[in-house]
Amino acid sequence: MDQSFAVQETLSAGETCLAISFRKGVNVNARRLHTVQGILAAEEGMESRLLSLVESHGKSMICLYTHRRMAITAEDVGLDRVLLIQEGFAVEEVTLEDGLQIPGSDVTVQITSGGTSLLVQLPFGSHTQMFLREVRKRCGPGHKDATAVDSEWSTSGEVKAAPRPKTARETVHLSHVPASEWTQDLPTQLCGQRDGLLQSWLKQKEDSYTNLQSFRFFVGTYNVNGQSPREGLQPWLSQEEEPPDVYCVGFQELDLSKEAFFFNDTPKEEEWFKAVTKSLHPGARYAKVKLVRMVGILLLLYVRTELAMNISEVEAETVGTGIMGRMGNKGGVAIRFQLHNTTVCVLNTHLAAHPEEYERRNQEVQDICARMQFHQLEPGHPLLAINGHDVVLWLGDLNYRLEEQDTEQVKKLVQARDFQVLHQHDQLKIQMDAKLVFEGFQEGEISFQPTYKYNPGSDDWDDSEKCCVPAWCDRILWRGKTVSQLGYRSHMALKNSDHKPVSAVFDIGVKVVDEKCYRKAFEETVRSLDKMENASIPSVTLSKTEFLFKDVKYLQLQVESFTICNGPVPCQFEFINKPNEDSYCKPWMTAKPREGFLLPDSKVVIELELFVNKSTATALNSGEDKLEDILVLHLDRGKDYFLSVSGNYLPSCFGCPIQTLCYMKEPIREMLPEAIRELTLMPLLTDDAFWDEKPLDIPKELWMLVDHLYRNACQQEDLFQQPGLRPEFEQICDWLDTGTLDVLGPVGSNHSVAEALLLFLESLPEPVVCYKLYRSSLECANSYKMSSQVISVLPKCHQNVFRYLVAFLRELLKHSGKNHLDVNILASIFGGLLLCPPPGHTKPGTVEKQKAQQFIQQFLCQEESTV
Amino acid sequence: MAKKTYDLLFKLLLIGDSGVGKTCVLFRFSDDAFNTTFISTIGIDFKIKTVELQGKKIKLQIWDTAGQERFHTITTSYYRGAMGIMLVYDITNAKSFENISKWLRNIDEHANEDVERMLLGNKCDMEDKRVVPKAKGEQISREHGIRFFETSAKANINIEKAFLTLAEDILRKTPVKEPNSENVDISSGGGVTGWKSKCC
Repeated sequence: MDQSFAVQETLSAGETCLAISFRKGVNVNARRLHTVQGILAAEEGMESRLLSLVESHGKSMICLYTHRRMAITAEDVGLDRVLLIQEGFAVEEVTLEDGLQIPGSDVTVQITSGGTSLLVQLPFGSHTQMFLREVRKRCGPGHKDATAVDSEWSTSGEVKAAPRPKTARETVHLSHVPASEWTQDLPTQLCGQRDGLLQSWLKQKEDSYTNLQSFRFFVGTYNVNGQSPREGLQPWLSQEEEPPDVYCVGFQELDLSKEAFFFNDTPKEEEWFKAVTKSLHPGARYAKVKLVRMVGILLLLYVRTELAMNISEVEAETVGTGIMGRMGNKGGVAIRFQLHNTTVCVLNTHLAAHPEEYERRNQEVQDICARMQFHQLEPGHPLLAINGHDVVLWLGDLNYRLEEQDTEQVKKLVQARDFQVLHQHDQLKIQMDAKLVFEGFQEGEISFQPTYKYNPGSDDWDDSEKCCVPAWCDRILWRGKTVSQLGYRSHMALKNSDHKPVSAVFDIGVKVVDEKCYRKAFEETVRSLDKMENASIPSVTLSKTEFLFKDVKYLQLQVESFTICNGPVPCQFEFINKPNEDSYCKPWMTAKPREGFLLPDSKVVIELELFVNKSTATALNSGEDKLEDILVLHLDRGKDYFLSVSGNYLPSCFGCPIQTLCYMKEPIREMLPEAIRELTLMPLLTDDAFWDEKPLDIPKELWMLVDHLYRNACQQEDLFQQPGLRPEFEQICDWLDTGTLDVLGPVGSNHSVAEALLLFLESLPEPVVCYKLYRSSLECANSYKMSSQVISVLPKCHQNVFRYLVAFLRELLKHSGKNHLDVNILASIFGGLLLCPPPGHTKPGTVEKQKAQQFIQQFLCQEESTV
Repeated sequence: MAKKTYDLLFKLLLIGDSGVGKTCVLFRFSDDAFNTTFISTIGIDFKIKTVELQGKKIKLQIWDTAGQERFHTITTSYYRGAMGIMLVYDITNAKSFENISKWLRNIDEHANEDVERMLLGNKCDMEDKRVVPKAKGEQISREHGIRFFETSAKANINIEKAFLTLAEDILRKTPVKEPNSENVDISSGGGVTGWKSKCC
């Protein structure tokens, strides 16, 4: 029974805490409260206390309570002292001077807080380990867990001055820990999986690194009928010549008093424990590993002291099957442990009495098997059931009787020592043969007379009024491949009780680890794990890692594609940004798709698109930027692949500044790269006196376009309003970039040439009306005089271009009857091209656009003479 | 019986000129195998291997980098976070040895300040083609105060020893902490690179 309930009841509402119940198999939320029973070393000797980890109003503390043997309600406990978990608080495990360190035995800790120092002995097992772990969590530097709880409680904790009303419902409610709350705390890490895998593999290979070594087990059961030990137990416990290695000694009906039943409190425990300890085989020294008791059912486990180091993972549990199917007058207690690498579970059960109740007894065995579950020390490990052990030893007063009801007949058979015939009537044998109980268990041949029921103090059959039929109530069964029974007998010499004790001696093959072989198996397993992990790193093959884009032209898309072939591991791929860059590639490149998911052995085609537009053309013309880049294709949790992109860009008049073009007397493609670079990087001059050579008035490419339109398209319907054709645009570009003035114009349609003119103006890195004059141009858009002034401060070449274009547009307007153009249309088209907001400026709104249109309109409407 | 798979995670990096055998060194250590065909590493690859040192299980995550010069600006960005760097040259290739000082500068500029460095003269099985005397390797490593081994991935000479020594040197500098799986940093255990795109 969990004594946390009793402590919980003493706490006020502000200190609302959740108790822990290990028995229920609910995962514990130990953040709030954890209680263990400990023995406090006091001046007057040892005293028992309940230690509780309590969290109250953001503070953690250990509260020590005095208590009745088994505390059930708040009245059973009294607060003794409080140790605050604060600075200077420490919990240290200590070794007592005379104490033999036995794994599985109690833990002694020294708790220091604010000048107080206490020595406390805590029972071995997961309960104590959990308690200490939770305490350490709160006093270590990693205290953040506790602070998280603080805030949680300070918001929800309502301080109540009045004592908390004690209702059973509330207690039940409080013990209900939502499972989700716990699971959040569990580390869900990959390495956890790796550990689990490692352990499973090692378990699988166990045969390769363990040798079976035989250990002698003594198993005894004795129903003592509530008596105290009045005679030595040597005739039962140490009759063998050879001292056993392990003692499993069980008692039933240790104490028949009401106190024992209701409070699970009995002085007999100590008496029988001492009696057993005194009577163990004198040929060896023994250490107690564990004692577990539920009401009158007691189980003791001893090992030879030299074996103590090989005992581990000791846990004890109890299951009550008495009244309400829960109480402890009937049921079983169990100790599980590991000896070397073999897991052993020892059970002591006292099943329902009365001859006709054999079905109930069967049911109780099923219940115990289902409900007996052990916690494991490793957090997160599942509960362990009885059948999860290599060896199970089941002893106790199983209470199965003889079907033959005739007492005299039975006694006669006993007299004749015809146990074989008598055994045919044994309920346990009948039930086991019918596979209705203890499936998989074995029992040795019974060659002793029934152990029940005798007149106490004698070897005489019970002659009371009830006059029970003799029966083999006290039995020892086992399960396990490596178990062989050496002896199975009763001990008539003990006369204290109405039962006779029974004993069985076993040789049990135990898996003992060969360190050298274990190391080898461990190494191998780690190697395979590494191999597996390496194999699970996503990996792909790329059909191509180098991409060459030849003779890239302005506004002409080039596409290179490659295939990502995935290996056996599903993977997520992505082109990732390079260091100190905020994109995964240069602006003239796009990868489609940029990221994606690949199933095992699947493929995806990636297209790398290269497209040079207005924003990238200038730097490529000048050589400041090159068609060179490295893309990094990253696989999530995996490798990185580098893709090299290279190519050459054919310089074009598109994207060149007006001034640069004015200084280029020959087609741009015929110029040396250095010359283009020099001319492009030349600062914008306000007059052209600076340069040796006199520049052209306007770029020849502009003249070529306008002249062509002037001669062929003045009467073209819907000029500047119909789109051109892409192949024709490409031809026009080549004509502009390679052709000379004397070569006749393109064969393309007027619309294509008109569009090329617009694209040319759009591609200018500095618009005709320079960026820095953008604002003032808009401001004076309603004054022709002021607008003219703005134009007059433009650099010479820009001025020329402006005037040239205006003159051309006015010419077009003369033919508006044919080409359907009017001032509004032209002003709106060219306003947006000649006046552009500087980079970084917000996109022009309607008002700005109207002003730009207005600005151009003034020039288109003026008398010819004034332009 | 220790059952934890590892207590610590060390990230190591292999750098050096193209063709000196970085990938082979790693392949020998991780898979105990050797492949004669040369496939240039175009990118960043990694493998893991768990070793035991001083009773501690140490998971080594070893990154293999592209050696080609054109990738240098990118590969240096992977230096950050490495706890140990193996700088490899080829004893049959004088150029790869001359570049050592350049690589060392790279480490100074881009790696963590306390990174453990180690110099490896690989292909020491090819004695007949040797152009870099062992003494020269020893000299440069002395000058820079770093460890030096001549190795051969092909003949399996000193490979394991080099990795274990480097891991030991890192372990020596690692503050002693209770092995606790909760403290093991596995966040970088699956190939998180030195830098990662921000816009995803």
